[in-house]
Amino acid sequence: VQNPLRSEAAAFRFLLLTIGYFALIALAAWINTWLGVAVFVLLTALIVYRLTRRS
Amino acid sequence: VSAHADAGHAHAAHPPVAHQSSRIDARMLGMLLFIASEIMLFGSFFTAYFFIRVVNHQPWPPAQFHLPVYVAFINTCILVTSSFTIHWALQAIKRGSRAGLQAGLALTFLMGLTFLLTQILEYARIGFTPHDQAFGTVFFCLTGLHGAHVFVGLTILAAMAARAFRGHFSPEEHHGVEIGGIYWHFVDVMWIVVFTTIYIL
Repeated sequence: VQNPLRSEAAAFRFLLLTIGYFALIALAAWINTWLGVAVFVLLTALIVYRLTRRS
Repeated sequence: VSAHADAGHAHAAHPPVAHQSSRIDARMLGMLLFIASEIMLFGSFFTAYFFIRVVNHQPWPPAQFHLPVYVAFINTCILVTSSFTIHWALQAIKRGSRAGLQAGLALTFLMGLTFLLTQILEYARIGFTPHDQAFGTVFFCLTGLHGAHVFVGLTILAAMAARAFRGHFSPEEHHGVEIGGIYWHFVDVMWIVVFTTIYIL
């Protein structure tokens, strides 16, 4: 797993990904609380899958 | 004897290069360790927040607390924009543009200062204090902890800007901006988490 803060450019990319992650969860939760939970689980699972596949 | 004395003198004038056992630059390693400790600190505060939220069997936040969501959202936009300007500042010095570096750092500092002053003003008008229930305590602790990090970031930015205006940094040597930029992005990431969990969800 690569360090997301290994450089300024990587940290900036990590910030943008964080904004996207939380924006999608917040939007889904605004529509319906359980949809927010589902998006949170889905996105988190996707991130874990990508990280484990890479390492 | 003379050559030996010269070598000894040279050694005294220039200390030997420090032994480096890590592949990561020592300055970068220091910042990463600092950020790791900060993540743990924020983690303990978030644990307290979610514990209070879970054990509280009433609507969240409690009815008497009205959070200034729109002001906080505008403040979030300002802070996120400041990450773009510091990124731009670093890219500028990598291209050799000193004016771009100076403008980027000055804009980042001003936006960070605006964020902090707005937060202080909101504290004065928010209508509750840290003594008002567990929610008031955890709200001020989390946002205050983040505010303290913004203050530290502003201090780092002021030092970076002062160096930039005095002619420091170049396309080859800009480590100070790189490390300061990482810290500023970390402060932004933490605010995104704080803003989403406290104000939105």
